[in-house]
Amino acid sequence: MVGMGLSGKRQAFITAREAGLVACIRCTKAWPLGTQVCGRCGQALVSRDRLSLQRVWALWFMGFLCYIPANLYPMLKTRTLFVVEESTIIGGAVELAQHGAFGIAAIILFASVVIPLGKFWAIAYLAVSVRSESTVSYHQRLRLYEVVEYIGRWSMIDIFVVAILSSLVQLQALAAINPGPASFFFALSVIFTMLSAQAFDARTIWDIQAKQKEASDHV
Amino acid sequence: MSDTPPEVTIEAARESRFSGTSFVWIIPILALVIALGVAWQSYNARGPLIEVEFEKGAGIAAGATELKYRDITVGRVEEVGFTEGLDRVLARIRVDKAVAPYIDDGSVFWIVEPEVTAQGITGLSTVLSGVYIEGSWDTQIGQAETRFQGASQTPLIRPGKSGLQLAFRTSATGTLTDNAPILFRGIEVGRVGKAQIARGGTFAIVEALIYEEHRSLVNSSTRFWDTSGFSVSIGPGGAEIDFSSLATLVGGGITFDTFVSGGARVQDGQVFEIFPDRGTARNSVFSASEVDPLRISVIFDENVSGLATGAPVELSGLKIGEVETLGGVIDNDQFGDSRVRLNATLLVQPARLGLPDQVTAENALSFLQERVENGLRARLASASLLTGGLKVEMVEVPDAEPARLIMTENEIPVMPTTKSEVSDTAATVEGVFTRINNLPIEELLNSAIDFLGAAEALISDEDLRQTPEDVRTLLADLSALVNSDGVQNVPVSLNQTLTRIEGLVAELEQQQITAKLVAALDSAASAADTVTASVEGVPALVEQIQSVAAKADSLELNALLEELTLLTRSAERVLGTEDAVALPGALKGALDELNATLTELREGGAVANVNQTLASARTAADNIAVSAQELPDVVERLTALFAQASRTIEGYNKGDEISRTAQETMRDIQQAADALAKLARTIERNPNSLLLGR
Repeated sequence: MVGMGLSGKRQAFITAREAGLVACIRCTKAWPLGTQVCGRCGQALVSRDRLSLQRVWALWFMGFLCYIPANLYPMLKTRTLFVVEESTIIGGAVELAQHGAFGIAAIILFASVVIPLGKFWAIAYLAVSVRSESTVSYHQRLRLYEVVEYIGRWSMIDIFVVAILSSLVQLQALAAINPGPASFFFALSVIFTMLSAQAFDARTIWDIQAKQKEASDHV
Repeated sequence: MSDTPPEVTIEAARESRFSGTSFVWIIPILALVIALGVAWQSYNARGPLIEVEFEKGAGIAAGATELKYRDITVGRVEEVGFTEGLDRVLARIRVDKAVAPYIDDGSVFWIVEPEVTAQGITGLSTVLSGVYIEGSWDTQIGQAETRFQGASQTPLIRPGKSGLQLAFRTSATGTLTDNAPILFRGIEVGRVGKAQIARGGTFAIVEALIYEEHRSLVNSSTRFWDTSGFSVSIGPGGAEIDFSSLATLVGGGITFDTFVSGGARVQDGQVFEIFPDRGTARNSVFSASEVDPLRISVIFDENVSGLATGAPVELSGLKIGEVETLGGVIDNDQFGDSRVRLNATLLVQPARLGLPDQVTAENALSFLQERVENGLRARLASASLLTGGLKVEMVEVPDAEPARLIMTENEIPVMPTTKSEVSDTAATVEGVFTRINNLPIEELLNSAIDFLGAAEALISDEDLRQTPEDVRTLLADLSALVNSDGVQNVPVSLNQTLTRIEGLVAELEQQQITAKLVAALDSAASAADTVTASVEGVPALVEQIQSVAAKADSLELNALLEELTLLTRSAERVLGTEDAVALPGALKGALDELNATLTELREGGAVANVNQTLASARTAADNIAVSAQELPDVVERLTALFAQASRTIEGYNKGDEISRTAQETMRDIQQAADALAKLARTIERNPNSLLLGR
């Protein structure tokens, strides 16, 4: 069966389910379909997580909700003597660009705007694509999912920068940098998108193939 | 492919549990609810937007400048722009919802900027943090308002801030600066606002605030005075510089005290006078009255210069007020001509009249009304002899023409006047001084000195010293002569003479002595006229006398003395002759004869004659008594005479007739002296002529 699947059409993979197996997502051991609990690690076995997409969307929505105030509220509160300066993510980047620091501005924009927005797009795309047909190949989609999962933790770089600055620049009355409310929301947003990405059951990518196959079989 | 059946069962299970969606959805729903709740709350909590217009921006920044109330931020400027026409700055301020209802139409806004004044530095915190807008409003929710006019400076009296609000009247010389402190015993109890010129421009008016806790310090008897600047006094204790504080030295200040008790509670808006110093303030308590002064208008016919505003108004010598304003008035209808008359408005203090009942302006007016009907009139009088200043006097004129205090609706009552008593003393005194100044006192003194010198020379003359000795010998000779028989015949002729005198007295009696005396006085008066004319040349006369004296000193007196000496010597010689020695014998005989004559007289009714003579003398005395009754007439004439004499002083510079007369007189004297010399020679030649009168 395995050989059949492997030697089959390039585009058509035999899924574990089709092979009558269920894989433990923790220890990756395959069990015969119908096994309830992984005999090796005790993980509950399900061939497809039915609530996966719901969780993805719920967490995605949550992350997006947090991303809005993260951009509206100031990220950093910079106090020098008596002047308190508050800058949002985009505002700070624009200010830096105006001062000629295009490189840093680009990095900030990339890390704080492009990547999170890309992640939102990517997760949403994946979640949508498992329900409908897509021109993008399964492999590419899987690659996309892996990239998203990988890059998710790096989104926290903004929060690291804020945390480091806040702890370093505390010169009492002279100058102080404090995290603004946006940093909190930004961190929440990153966390929720990561959870959202994790909640995505990558195996469902292949179900579309099965459905298509079914459809063609019926035809 | 054969594994599809279990797939079906799974699908069925999914469908059956579709309603039980993932619990994960709770998180976003919760978040959404929270977000919406927060959004709604923040929207709900957002206060209204108010607009405040300012003269200038003064550093207001959108999103940064705060609105503070009692130093607590209650709003933030959201937008700064201009009003239409760009003439004012318009700040839109988002205010806290909780505070917004209180910002009503009585609210005041001003910009707090750093300010350095003599009183100190304010708004220092705004140097670094930037300006802020301070708002002030009362604690009552009033009519809502969204557009306000911002004040250009910190208002003294803020809405809702309690305290006693006063106004001060100051003279033109006041040195009040804005925000000057009001001190009481050195403690600031209030503050003065911005001074403004009162309508009419006669004084400055300045609003002031006494803080609530010190309100009780001020009552209606309180007097305020200026403590700005410093005073230097030098007394027995040494020099003393006095100033109350550095702030008041630079910026001025006001202090106050209540010198007398019993003042009434002061209401907001009461106006107080600011006195220049403590002494004046203190005096004003006892002089000024608490009631409104009574205004009386007086129109004087005479336009006499010298009456000034502030001149005293006196009733029976007591100052009851002062002249407030002066002006001219032309009223053809009332006076019948278009002459400008002096119209003075008098400010009479009712308290000084000593009214028995309630002291009010009305009572004072009715009192004056009554007095005017009894003859009280206003008149101008001299206040000072030297300056010629005038005052207004109210005097009772006996038998005055009936007049009333003219009272017209809404106008100042007009008081009738009487003839002014303005003596031009100044001019008279000046004239007297001018005349004294013109007197040739120095020349007179020089003449006197010269004259005294001459007299001394005369007295020290040796011939003159010899004179007493000569006179003594002459007298001895004379006593010898009296003892002679020839003298004894004298009583007989004496008796005859008495009889003649008797007749003469009777004659005089008939001829009305008094009339003659009057005539004589008339002549004396005319003589005085002449003297008047002659006195005019006194200085010249003095010179003349001087020269005469000099002459007399040098020539004539010496000659006269020599002559006199000669005369006495010859008299001595005469007395030494035999005839003279025989003279006492003759005298003795004469006295014997006289004795006999007296005996005869006694026998021949001489006593009766004497009695008659005495009776006549009594009648004469009666006549004299009668004439004494006419003495007043005489006195009048004498008065006139003296008046004439005094008039003559005025013109003594004219003519020098008297000097000429004096010169002539001196010549006459000279001639008389010559004649005397001749007489002496004659006596020398014929000594018997002395006795026989030939």
